[in-house]
Amino acid sequence: MSPVLEARDLRVAYGGNLALDIPHLALEPGELVGVVGANGAGKSTLVNALLGWSRGTPSVSGSIRLDGEEIGQLPPHARVARGLTLVPEGGAVFMRLTVEDNLAAAQAPRGSNRRAHDEAEIYALFPRLKERLRHHASMLSGGERQMLAIARALRLGPRALLLDEPSIGLAPRLVADVLRTVRGLVDEKLSVLLVEQNVRAAIEVVDRLVLLERGRILASGPAAAMRDDPRILAAYLGEAAA
Amino acid sequence: MNLVQQLINGIVLGHAYALIAIGWTVLLGVARLVNFGHGQIYMLAAFVTWWSVAALGLPYPVAIGVAVVAGIVIGLIMQAAMLRLTFAQDLVSIMIVTLGFGHMMRGIAGLVFGGNPQVLETPLSWVEFEIAGSWVTAQDVAIVVVAILFFLLLHLVLERGSLGRTARMVAEDPKLAQLAGIDVRRVYFAVFAFEGAAVALAAALVAPRTPILTNIGFEEVIITFVVVVLGGIGSVAGSYLAGLGLGIFTALFGGFVSPAYATTAAFLVLIVVLVLRPSGLAMGRASR
Repeated sequence: MSPVLEARDLRVAYGGNLALDIPHLALEPGELVGVVGANGAGKSTLVNALLGWSRGTPSVSGSIRLDGEEIGQLPPHARVARGLTLVPEGGAVFMRLTVEDNLAAAQAPRGSNRRAHDEAEIYALFPRLKERLRHHASMLSGGERQMLAIARALRLGPRALLLDEPSIGLAPRLVADVLRTVRGLVDEKLSVLLVEQNVRAAIEVVDRLVLLERGRILASGPAAAMRDDPRILAAYLGEAAA
Repeated sequence: MNLVQQLINGIVLGHAYALIAIGWTVLLGVARLVNFGHGQIYMLAAFVTWWSVAALGLPYPVAIGVAVVAGIVIGLIMQAAMLRLTFAQDLVSIMIVTLGFGHMMRGIAGLVFGGNPQVLETPLSWVEFEIAGSWVTAQDVAIVVVAILFFLLLHLVLERGSLGRTARMVAEDPKLAQLAGIDVRRVYFAVFAFEGAAVALAAALVAPRTPILTNIGFEEVIITFVVVVLGGIGSVAGSYLAGLGLGIFTALFGGFVSPAYATTAAFLVLIVVLVLRPSGLAMGRASR
C-alpha cells in the first residue's frame, strides 16, 4: 500500500537557521500518526511545511507527495484543492463570519471524488455547531472554535488531514472528546497527522508516534511500543527511564 | 445664492465623490491596500474617454467601456508589479510604488495626450432639467443614478453569495483564507482590477463636468482619502454616506461661504470627526 502523504528530505530554514530536517515521513491510508515533542521541537513547522503554509517566510525544500503526486512546489490553496488540509494551531476560524458561513466557505472542489462530510454528518459529529449556526465565530468558546475548525477541514474533503494541537487550551474532558472524534474519523478511513503536546492523551488514540526534537525525528514507531520507549517515558509520561 | 441649486450641486458632487472613492474603499476593506496612483488612474481614464469620443469617434457609452477596460489593465499591471509587497502587507513600500505609478501615468498622459486642457462633451451634457427653479444636466443625473446602482450592486455582491464571503475571508485573514482553498493572489488581482475599473467609471462620468488636464487627479485622491476615512475604512455603505455628506457640505460651503476654502473646510470636518469618532462615521465593519 502506498502512503497517502509522503515527505522526503524536507528541510525548513528561517534566515539560514535550519529549523526542521526530516529525511522521510509517511502517512498511510487510514492511519493516525501523532507528532510529539517539546515546545520548539518543530512540530508546527512540520505540518505547516507540508502544506507550504506559514505566517512567516521560511525557506522550504524537499519532496512532498500526496497520493503519489508531487505537490511540494504548489501554493497552499492548490494543495488544499488536491486534498491536503490543515487545521492550524488555536482552531483558526473566521471570527467575523457566522458558523454557517464558515462552513459554507469550505467546499471540496467540484468534480472531485473525494469524500467530503455533508452538513448532516458535520452536525452529527458536532451537534453544538448546529445550535450555534447563526452566531459569529467570535462568540464561540475555544472548544467550539476547534470543532468548527475541524468541521471546516472535513467539508473540504481531505485525503489527509493535518491537525496542529487541537487540544491546546481545552479543558481535559474536551481534550479526550476531540481526540476521540479524531480517532473516529480515522476509523472511517481518513488519514490524519496529529501534532499534540499532550503525549499522555495522544498515545491513547494514535497508531504511530513520531518524537521530534530540535527539528529532527528522535524516535518513531507503533504507539504500543513507543509507550515503553525510555525517551518518551522520561520526558513525557513522567516516569523514570527503565 | 439659491439653496435648492446648491443642494442639487451637492447631491451630484456627493455621488461623484462616492463613486470616485469606492474603488479605494474596497481595496482597503478587502485587501488592506492603498493606491496613491488612484487620482492618476482617474486622470488617465478621463483622457481615454475623451480620446475615444473625440479622436476615435466612438459613442459615449462605448467610450465609458473603453475607459473601464483601461482602468482594469492599469490596475492589473500595478498589482503584478506589487504582488510580493502585497503578500508581505508592506504598506509603506506600496504607498511609494503607487505614488511612483501615479507620476509615471502623468508623464505618459502628457506624452500621449499632450499638455492642452480638453473638454469631454457628451450627448448628456446638453440635456437639462428644471427642478424647483434650479437646473440639472442629464450628465449629473447619470452620475447620481449610476452611483446609486453601483453601490447597491456592490452591497448585494459583498453581502450575499460566495464572492462576498470570499472577500470577507481574505479581508479578515488572507493566510487563513489560503487554508480554505482560496487563491488569495487572484483575489488581490481582482480587487486591484476592480479599483481601476471603478475609478475609471467615475472618471468617464464625472470628467465631462470639468476640463481634463494631466495634472488633475490630486484633488480626487484627497477627496477619496477623506471619504474612505470618514466612512469608516472599508465600509461600502459608509463611503456612500460620507461621499454624499462631503459633497453637500462642499457645495453649501462653497455657495454660502467661499469656494476657495471648501477643501480646507472638508479637512477640518475630517479632523473633528476623527477626534470625536476615530473609527469614522459608520462603525467600520470591513467590506460592508
